[in-house]
Amino acid sequence: MIPTLWAIATLTFFLMRAAPGGPFQSEREIPAAAKAQLEHAYGLDRPLGEQYVRFLGNAARLDFGPSYKYPTQQVKDIIFASFPVSLELGLWALLLSLAIGVPLGVLAANRQNTGFDYGAMASTLLGVSVPNFVLGPLLVLVFSLTLYWLPPALWMSPADRVLPVITLSAIYLAYIARLTRGGMLETLRQDYIRTARAKGLPESRVIFGHALKLGILPVVSYLGPAVARIVMGSIVIEQIFAIPGLGRHLVSAAFNRDYTLVLGIVVFYAGFLMVLNLVVDIMYAWLDPRVELA
Amino acid sequence: MNAPDKNRAQKARRSLAAFVVPEVALALALGLAGCGGGNASTPASRASADYFGDITPPKGQVFTFNNGAEPEHLDPAVMSGQPDGRVARLVFEGLCSSDPKTLAPVPGVASRWDVSPDGLVYTFHLRPGLTWADGHPLTAPDFVWSWRRVLSPSTGSRYASFLYPVRNAEAFNKGEIADSTQVGVAAPDDSTFIVTLGQPTAYFLELVAYYTTLPTPRHVIEKLGSNWESAKNLVGNGPFRIVLWKQKDRFELVPNERYWDRANVRLTKIVALPIEENSTSTNLYKAGVIDWNPSGYVPKQVIPFIQHYKDFSGGPYHGMYFYSIVVTKKPFDNVWVRRALNYATDRESICKYVLKGTVPAWGNMTPTGYPGYVAPPALTYDPVKARECLAKAGYPDGKGFPKFEILFNTSEDHRRIAEAVQAMWKRELHIPVTLSNQEWASYLAATTEKRYDVARRSWIGDYMDPNTFLDMWQTGNGNNRTGWSDKRFDALVRGATLEPDPAKRLAMLSEAEGILLEDGPVIPIYHYTQSSLVKPYVRGIYSTMLDVHPLTHVWIDHGEGDVVAAAAKEARP
Repeated sequence: MIPTLWAIATLTFFLMRAAPGGPFQSEREIPAAAKAQLEHAYGLDRPLGEQYVRFLGNAARLDFGPSYKYPTQQVKDIIFASFPVSLELGLWALLLSLAIGVPLGVLAANRQNTGFDYGAMASTLLGVSVPNFVLGPLLVLVFSLTLYWLPPALWMSPADRVLPVITLSAIYLAYIARLTRGGMLETLRQDYIRTARAKGLPESRVIFGHALKLGILPVVSYLGPAVARIVMGSIVIEQIFAIPGLGRHLVSAAFNRDYTLVLGIVVFYAGFLMVLNLVVDIMYAWLDPRVELA
Repeated sequence: MNAPDKNRAQKARRSLAAFVVPEVALALALGLAGCGGGNASTPASRASADYFGDITPPKGQVFTFNNGAEPEHLDPAVMSGQPDGRVARLVFEGLCSSDPKTLAPVPGVASRWDVSPDGLVYTFHLRPGLTWADGHPLTAPDFVWSWRRVLSPSTGSRYASFLYPVRNAEAFNKGEIADSTQVGVAAPDDSTFIVTLGQPTAYFLELVAYYTTLPTPRHVIEKLGSNWESAKNLVGNGPFRIVLWKQKDRFELVPNERYWDRANVRLTKIVALPIEENSTSTNLYKAGVIDWNPSGYVPKQVIPFIQHYKDFSGGPYHGMYFYSIVVTKKPFDNVWVRRALNYATDRESICKYVLKGTVPAWGNMTPTGYPGYVAPPALTYDPVKARECLAKAGYPDGKGFPKFEILFNTSEDHRRIAEAVQAMWKRELHIPVTLSNQEWASYLAATTEKRYDVARRSWIGDYMDPNTFLDMWQTGNGNNRTGWSDKRFDALVRGATLEPDPAKRLAMLSEAEGILLEDGPVIPIYHYTQSSLVKPYVRGIYSTMLDVHPLTHVWIDHGEGDVVAAAAKEARP
């Protein structure tokens, strides 16, 4: 884990420096003295090698220093303030996708090749293929600007959360429903399910007591990267709905050449992703005893 | 198209779609509302056919607006952005304030001021009993300290040059003299602040209204250092104080009870949102979440659909959109080449067809709105003359003209304008033009270092005087960025600064602008316009050329009856 993080941090550090321009430039001239003063304050006047060593040392202590664009803010404060917002958005979306996606997939598998199955799968296909930057504005257009039911953006009241959560969850909901259906279809053909049915168990116990535990495995393995993405990949949604999350910071930091903020966020994301993958591996072993923890 | 290219193209399209689609959706919504007589679909109590969206006033005196971005600084001495400035003008007050309608200097912290007959000494008389928001007294020495701090090289103020008219200010800022007491600011007693200029400056009071010159609290900064720039520690002297600052979320401000004119502050709370996405901002306005969508935060594509609403306000803005040419490289070192490009640019068509008439074509480098300034004639579109100029430069019919690029930063409008200019130059001059698109930071680096041929540029004026659009073209000015240099031009602009007779001064500036246009390092394209939305129940916000809006006396009109009728009475300019 440490070598991977080191490689990511190093790559990001040098890629950022390779991009043209720097953090202190403007359409209006910055006086040479002021610019020199700023670069000195941030150590940008030192040789690149020295800057790199210093950055690694600080990163090891999780201290990325102040943001270049917002010098009054420490990078770690920005991350700690904005990540919970992204996390909340992501978790609500995940909850919604699971709460609707899993039952939808189970029902569709149970009624394979019926009208319900076809309808469910057709609508999930739509969910997979309509990108969130189309869905979001469409929802805003209908529910905020035409019906005046819900706010079109921001992140203050509970009502503010409805549209972005729906927008973010659509694609995950669709995937989860399709994966659940696929996994269930396979499981329902297994011998032990036939045995369970032969014993005369009620259908609900067959499905929820026996089949679901195995049938949901594809969803679980999908959840690992999905959780990471649902929290990180909301960049577009955070921008459209003006949500003060981490994704919005990452995009603007890259554009602003805010070296410290970019590095802080990238290292944070990388670490977060690795921890999540570990958790999924553990969950996997717990759900399916055939998988051993190495 | 190889694989990485394809990937990049997809990404570009993806990010583009992310920003265009909301605008399309909004335009669609407006289109629907317009065509289908569709206002029936919106609750009649909340919307009206004359206004854009919900016009229900907020409860009480709470005012919400989009500040456009997250401010970088709260310290007026070092800040350099409009979002920063809007917050600073709420929290701090300078010697002069600006009249909300005309932006003329009106008494602020100083109740009056005298100017010596030679225009060199300004004496400001401060109001008695002024205090900072924490109760600490605010006196003339605070201004002396604040202005010296702006000018001190170690502060790193980007806008320190606003104080350069003050005697020895420039030399001190550039480290040529180390003694700050030589700067022409003094406080003979607690209520008198005396500024001595190095040379008469007609627009000095306009500079004093700028946020860089706002007072900063010595007693707080000396104790806390840079930590004073937080919602908790910031101490101002203005009409409001910050009670909440959440990054990329919002600012909340409440009245400063110690403000000298507290009795005339009617708002009980201001909420400022940092929304970068113009379509999101306009959506929030339509839905009635924000009461003011300041100029520049309405997507251009949407303007034709909403400019008929009564709460939309247009009008000229103190900014210019132009192309600049690096004159140190061949073939652009030849004045006839530059003139040929100028004459071959049909700015009228660009504004009419590409920009759908939302901005006026403008051939001068100085915008409109300076009383007494007679702008020199511009080079207008003339393909025949353009070809003659190119032939004189040695490229008859464009033969042998080297390939060159038009550089612009990422934006749909910049691209469409560049494509139109490219087509015009190819059609009229038969010269090989290509386009080069770079994202903002790369574009800034390229223009600053003069690594381009022709580039899209823009300039926003700082004060109401043609000088703010002309002094940048002097030899070696950091904002020139073309390598253009003309001794006559330099002499005229410098001479105008020293000229005591206002009419003569303006005539000299006009002559200088004529030289600039004739010599063609710039191709002016259009004059910026404003496009803001203010709810009809908001009182005290007016359209101003500089797009500066003092919010001290803004209030929410609950109408005591009909809000719409009340709005109609006060015709918004």
